[in-house]
Amino acid sequence: MTGYIIRRCVAAVIIAIGVAAVSYALLNFAGGSPVYAALGTHANPKAVAQWNRVHGFDKPLIVQIGNYVWNAVQLKFGYSYKQGQSVAALLDENAGRTAYLSGSALVLALIIALPLGIAQAVKRNSVSDYAATAITFTLYSMPAFFLGLILIQFFALDLHIFPPLVSSNVTSVWASFTHPAQLTLPIVTLAALTVAGFSRYMRSSALDALAQDYIRLARAKGLSERVVLARHLVRNACLPMITLVGLAIPGLLAGNIITETLYNYPGLGLLFYNALQGLDYPVLLAYTLIGGVLTVTGNLVADIAVAAADPRIRLG
Amino acid sequence: MSAPPATSVLEVNGLSTHINLTRSVVHAVGDVSFEIKAGETLGLVGESGCGKSMTGLSLLNLLPHGGHIVEGSIKLSGLELVGLPERKLRTIRGNEIAMIFQDSQSSLNPTMTIGRQVMEPVRLHRGVSKHEALDRALEVLELVGLPHPRERFDDFPHQLSGGLRQRVMIAIALACEPKVLVADEPTTALDVTIQAQILALLDDLEERLGMSTLLITHDMGVVAGRTDRINVMYAGRIVETATTYRLFTGMRHPYTQALLGSIPSLDQDREKALYTIPGLPPDLAPPPSGCRFAARCAYATDECREHEPPLDGAEGHLFACWHPVDGPIERLPTIVPPESVKVPIAATANGRHLLELDGVVREFPVTAGIILRRKVDSVKAVSGVTLHVDAGETFGLVGESGCGKTTLGKLIVGAELPDGGTVELEGKRVFALKGRALRRARRDLQMMFQDPYASLDPRMRVQAILREPLEIQKIGSRQEQDERITTVLREVGLPQTALERYPHEFSGGQRQRVGLARALMLDPKVIVADEPVSALDVSIRSQILNLMRRLQLERGTASVVISHDLAVVKYLSDRIGVMYLGKLVELGNGDDIYRRAAHPYTDALIKTIPVPDPAVKRADIAISGELPSPRNPPSGCRFRTRCPRAQDLCAEEEPLLRSFGPGHVAACHFPLQAPGEAAAEAVADGDPE
Repeated sequence: MTGYIIRRCVAAVIIAIGVAAVSYALLNFAGGSPVYAALGTHANPKAVAQWNRVHGFDKPLIVQIGNYVWNAVQLKFGYSYKQGQSVAALLDENAGRTAYLSGSALVLALIIALPLGIAQAVKRNSVSDYAATAITFTLYSMPAFFLGLILIQFFALDLHIFPPLVSSNVTSVWASFTHPAQLTLPIVTLAALTVAGFSRYMRSSALDALAQDYIRLARAKGLSERVVLARHLVRNACLPMITLVGLAIPGLLAGNIITETLYNYPGLGLLFYNALQGLDYPVLLAYTLIGGVLTVTGNLVADIAVAAADPRIRLG
Repeated sequence: MSAPPATSVLEVNGLSTHINLTRSVVHAVGDVSFEIKAGETLGLVGESGCGKSMTGLSLLNLLPHGGHIVEGSIKLSGLELVGLPERKLRTIRGNEIAMIFQDSQSSLNPTMTIGRQVMEPVRLHRGVSKHEALDRALEVLELVGLPHPRERFDDFPHQLSGGLRQRVMIAIALACEPKVLVADEPTTALDVTIQAQILALLDDLEERLGMSTLLITHDMGVVAGRTDRINVMYAGRIVETATTYRLFTGMRHPYTQALLGSIPSLDQDREKALYTIPGLPPDLAPPPSGCRFAARCAYATDECREHEPPLDGAEGHLFACWHPVDGPIERLPTIVPPESVKVPIAATANGRHLLELDGVVREFPVTAGIILRRKVDSVKAVSGVTLHVDAGETFGLVGESGCGKTTLGKLIVGAELPDGGTVELEGKRVFALKGRALRRARRDLQMMFQDPYASLDPRMRVQAILREPLEIQKIGSRQEQDERITTVLREVGLPQTALERYPHEFSGGQRQRVGLARALMLDPKVIVADEPVSALDVSIRSQILNLMRRLQLERGTASVVISHDLAVVKYLSDRIGVMYLGKLVELGNGDDIYRRAAHPYTDALIKTIPVPDPAVKRADIAISGELPSPRNPPSGCRFRTRCPRAQDLCAEEEPLLRSFGPGHVAACHFPLQAPGEAAAEAVADGDPE
């Protein structure tokens, strides 16, 4: 088990380095150096060449990649000339808020999706099952910005229950936490999009488990249906969900771009959106890299969690 | 029924169960009545889909989604169970009626320790403390013969072997000492040696606990020795019920007769065909009118097709038939074709055999290590097997699961490559060839699989499935390929309309015919058939066996038949090899193996086969314990850990194959027969003289 984790971590680091190298190369082909961000779009060529030489952007691509990766390993992601701050400081400032938003949305989605999926499996092909399916599919097919706008219109502008935008007072994770009304709509938006996929998956996973002989044997023992579900179904049906949740983590980051922009919530998504508008290359690169690292980590954590939850799986 | 109610524990009257599907209603069980007396074992036999499992599930009202009892009565010690509220019923399930299922792998919760699973019903029904429940669980686990229950208590199901898991499931069922045990195919998934142990355990427990048992099975051999009475079910109806002896010797229903006639017995005449039941069981949504067996019955008349016969009779022998038969069928048409067609079995002209295996070894590595995986151990699947197959000959390979017989089959067709030794076809090491020569050689070695559903591409029509081997081998024009497909299809007894259909549109037996046709397409020299009929029902099985036997005799294709079913192997094979833990322990013709076995393992294996004859006295359990791990096989003779004759020598020195007559060799230090004249001389190969 330990050996397996070590092996997987080594692989994860190698993959992350690869992601950094490939993203750097792609952005290099797209636009090259952040010189225009630093000097302005009308800088004279001589100054540009001079700047590039000073900052190492005149070197061969392979050397630039090497430098970038080496710096990234030391958590140095360059300097955002647009924002006038180091990228590391920007990430540090925004990551916590995004983690809070994504984490809450993920937890909310699971709290809804797991019982819903099991309930749908137990009451399969009933009116309530079809109704739940209809609702989740509607949510599933809805773009984030559209759902967000509907929620803003309804709950903020019509009913005045929640604010339409996150107040600019919310500047720290702690502030997000202490102002629940401020974040309700963004969390709900993000969660609603995730619930659909999760509950569909949970439903089919629970259906598989319900068809197993051990459920029949549990009933043959004389256990009540509630005990059969709680003791014999839930754990087995949730096993495949672990992998799905692990893979969904980087997806939340992508969903954040739209949600954070829509509600003007200062997190990584909004940072990325602004960087995209201003061609702020170091920030774009760092965000891409975070996505890659989260994907690798999500996978790794899911595999280890499955092994911990399922006695049949021995990693080795 | 006639017996006084005081003695019957379970009385079922006019039970009908339906299953609602989306578009139809399956009449799974129709008007079934029976009773089980205290301490009695009632057998419920029939083919898949006949409603026997649904009858068992109805007793506990554990029917699948959409299933419900439409009418009838189920009385447990006088208490009516039909219509009883679910809450009351739950106090009876697992407490007074318990059930065990076929597949212990899927019937135990994989994420819960076996100890907790056994404790569960005790806690529920006895209302005892955790501590008392634990004691009781240990007690029943001990009772069912789980070795070291205290140490095993916190094991998860996957850490136990199939036989031990089945014992755990029995322990769960018996934890509350039920009055009635419903055992649904309790040993079908197990090896014969383990099956014998589990059946003996059930017998013993019934006697000790005074429990009544409903034994549901498709295997006439299993019910023959273990039941007092037998109900035969067909298409949702009980068609015959009698005492076990009476049913086997004086059956009156043609279905019972046909069912028993279609099982190959160990003394089956290989020159005779097996009895077959034509067609398939009827669709029960809704069932046909008249006698449900009429469409497949040799004696059926218009009366049978119009009016359903009542279950009637005397002295506890009831049957539902207008034209009853009297006792077992007199045997059967000969299968041997005229001499002109029959291909002689012979070594090839230069004195070599068609297929020769010499000291074949296959080991699967077990690796460990953090970054660099190094080999730390290996699973010794096949450890030095030497045998040959001649042209026109059928070689049978038997042994328990895990003995390496399937791996050996794969080695023959080149699906695995040996780590040592050689596989030669007509003197050539086929799989040492490369490129085109290898592709050409593969034509001669084809395989037929156990599960035709899994081995046929579900998205290819039969025509494409059969054409593919020809296309890969670039044989013939399209028209010639079509002709070849038509010919082979006719040979395996499928209609031309089959060509346009997909595998799922066929019944199990027809699919296996497609599998056989595919193996025959390239006109191979050797066919390896791995468990060719294990997935099939008895009546379908005999159709396929007859077909294989006929093709063997007509085409003269050599074949290797791998099966755990010794009767099947004996019927199909000219010579038989018995494998144990990667080694060939005995080799000889059918009579050598079945009548003059020299190796104690062969002898034990044959004694444990359930014989469909109630007059045959059950031997005591001939082999105790389970197959040792192939990672660390025992030193010396690998069978010694389970052998009643083992002595010190067996652990020290590996026995070599010795001759016990022409073509009969066995590897044992203390054989059951005196070795032949070449006693001490090691014989590497068993040439029939």
